[in-house]
Amino acid sequence: MPRQKSVRAPTTASLPNNLRIPSTTPSLVKTLGKLPRQSLLDLVFQWLDDRNVKLFPPFLESDEEESPDDEGLRPYPAERSLNDVRNAYQELQFRKGGKREVIDRILDGDWRHGITLRQLAMADLRCLDDHPSSSRWTALELTRIGVPNSQDTPLADISACIPRVHASTFVNRLQEQIAPLVKAHFYLARSTTLPLTFLRIFVTHSPYQNPRQAPETLTNSARVMYVAFPDSCPYIYTSLASTTGSKATSNSAVATDARSLQRIVRDGLPKALSVPHQRYTLKPTSLTAKSLQALLSLRGPGRSNKANGAFSIFADAVLEGSPLDPRPSHTVSPEEHQKQSRLHSQFDPEKENKAIDTDKDADTSTTQPTRPLARTRLKDTEDPRAAKKRKLTVQSRFGISGTPLSSAPLDRLDARLLDPPHPSPGTHHDEDGQGLDETRPTVSLTFTGTDVIAGIRKLAELGIVNPEHMPSWMTGEEAVSVAIVRGGKVVKDSG
Amino acid sequence: MDPNDPTAQLEEELDSDISSIRREICKLQRRRRFLSSSILSSEALQKSIKPQPSPVSSLLSLNKDISPLVRTAGTHAQSNHHRIAFSVTTFPFKDPSPTIDAESEDLKNLLGVRIDICVRNGRFTKPYYLLLRKARTNEQSQGKVRVKVHRHTIPAFIPVERLGRVFLPDAPQVLGDGDGNAETQTQLKRKPNTPPRKQNLNGFVREVRRQLVAWHTRLDAVYLLREQLGIIRRGVDAYPDEEEDGPWDRDVLVDVDFDSGVGETRLKENKLAIVAISPTALEASYVRVEWVDGRVGRFKISNSGMVERAVVIGDGGRDKILEAVLTGGDGKVLTVLERLKKVAFLRDPE
Repeated sequence: MPRQKSVRAPTTASLPNNLRIPSTTPSLVKTLGKLPRQSLLDLVFQWLDDRNVKLFPPFLESDEEESPDDEGLRPYPAERSLNDVRNAYQELQFRKGGKREVIDRILDGDWRHGITLRQLAMADLRCLDDHPSSSRWTALELTRIGVPNSQDTPLADISACIPRVHASTFVNRLQEQIAPLVKAHFYLARSTTLPLTFLRIFVTHSPYQNPRQAPETLTNSARVMYVAFPDSCPYIYTSLASTTGSKATSNSAVATDARSLQRIVRDGLPKALSVPHQRYTLKPTSLTAKSLQALLSLRGPGRSNKANGAFSIFADAVLEGSPLDPRPSHTVSPEEHQKQSRLHSQFDPEKENKAIDTDKDADTSTTQPTRPLARTRLKDTEDPRAAKKRKLTVQSRFGISGTPLSSAPLDRLDARLLDPPHPSPGTHHDEDGQGLDETRPTVSLTFTGTDVIAGIRKLAELGIVNPEHMPSWMTGEEAVSVAIVRGGKVVKDSG
Repeated sequence: MDPNDPTAQLEEELDSDISSIRREICKLQRRRRFLSSSILSSEALQKSIKPQPSPVSSLLSLNKDISPLVRTAGTHAQSNHHRIAFSVTTFPFKDPSPTIDAESEDLKNLLGVRIDICVRNGRFTKPYYLLLRKARTNEQSQGKVRVKVHRHTIPAFIPVERLGRVFLPDAPQVLGDGDGNAETQTQLKRKPNTPPRKQNLNGFVREVRRQLVAWHTRLDAVYLLREQLGIIRRGVDAYPDEEEDGPWDRDVLVDVDFDSGVGETRLKENKLAIVAISPTALEASYVRVEWVDGRVGRFKISNSGMVERAVVIGDGGRDKILEAVLTGGDGKVLTVLERLKKVAFLRDPE
């Protein structure tokens, strides 16, 4: 039961970590049920860890004496000590069974007095680690405001805008930013699999410390947003679909729906990251994808931010080896080049297989609408030389993007073509060209699938897409998921 | 199938044998290729074959036979020598994307810059690349070629774009080349009559390389400190003591596939009572130190390898002595441990 305070006054503090959601809330079962049994058990051990257990102690016998409301009615008797609780879950670990058993034990047994917001946050983040592509992520770029773009700045001042997040300071500042409008609960955690720090923000609009709302709203996943801070790069990712430009917030004075609350939080983020004389703002980067891995390789700390498509051969250094390698570089396969630098880490065959599988999926999903697939295959067999030439062209156009070697699966690619469908050879693609032909149609294309670029690559390999005349945005070179194309080139959103 | 079945067992054994033999073959083949190309590109062989003055016809034909191989090996060795000696090399590259008109056809020819950086363990990192394209020019530039960074593989914490703006300024008249045109327009308004600033490609590449080298040197310094304290590799070295359970540090570098990371490592128990020392983030300008007694410190490494600032906080507040030790002395990162040793001896002379 959440402890009811006698006095309820609106405050500007964030929702406390130890605010308990009654364990009878049905949506808790659903939330915890998203995790597989092993993850649930891991989570419980994390809860029972010495560092955490003080924040949300399990229900023990001593608690039962304090509030003897229902003796013997519960299916799980209260344990005597913390170690007994730990042992009970150890036992569950060794036994086989469903996850329902574990959830029941948590809700009816050891945390019958309620699950705290922090525990819920931990469960959600665990879920995010298990299913990294469960939500859509938008990459935003952090840029400094008020820095003159002139060439007179001394060299020492030129540095990338990398936010140095000191967790608690940052959360406090963010709280200050949004406090008048939103009540929130924050939870910061490091991802176990990716070089990211997650911030989970749960928003509600009640100004009270212990909101007198239905407990369902506290578990409502629509009110949760995530912000991920990748290491050492001037980008942040938010789980909120981007409405480009942050000025669209002022449509109504009292916006209380979850979306606008989340937007308020997002607008507060750059302000919370700013320090005196160093103000930041967020710029959209036209990249939204489900896979965090894709975001990390296209807007991350590594080499592949600005080198994709045809240039991916440089990013992953599959072109040439180290200068100490006596083998001429064209005799060494790209895989070997890449493996060389990876040495021991993460080259398990299982992962490779998985990548190939997704590849296949993308292929089928994107090629389904195109019927003449079989016919082109026949053509291939007729002229092996043409097929070989095409393969080489595909390789030069795509580099290694769209192969299992690269790891940037875009699940969606939107392109708006501003060019006329049949450009006559003499036309110039000038800015003034717009005025001449008012009724010129624009074509919008949307590709979806598990890996769009891999799919387009397959199409090119099969000869359905002409690899020579294909514009460069189709090879993923621009590293965007929303593209506005003019003259075969991607222009910025202003168009 | 019954796992205790002797034939099944035998089969399994044979299978594993076969796969291990295959792996061995693969390894040997690779080794052979490595050695043969080493021989081909070796100085002695190159010297003896190059003149080709052999009057004997049979030898001549032999020469013809092997010469393409030898020649490619020779040029490869030579370019490798250049890469090692100069660290920055250039190459031409053609953008394969299709174009509409002749002007952009010319713009497809890119200038590639390759930067090779040697790191501590005697290896070279994966090369970094900068690909520059010609900026669209007009009559006023008087035939001078202006370049622009087109693509690059420099990590995001090195601000290539901003460096490019400083060293490779656009010609002010350039309009509408897709990106950055708004900036040039404002520039135009402010200084209408100044001649276009000169571009400094050498300075640009030098600065990018300097920052890359500084980053790798910082990383090397931290890893050297770790090695001086002694490290245990998870999985590789056996657990020395099951009971002690310090924090494992994931090598930051593993995440982005650089050369030196090998899974998770941990510091050995040492006299300085340091349990963890690691860069806080990929760019390694901050290093976090943790002591057994719970004190946590953090110091900043400057680009020249000095400890710029340091903070140490324990249960009883800040430890100013340690902070002074970290930044004191000659201030170098590489001597941090020696300084700490000295002060540890003074505090606890056992």
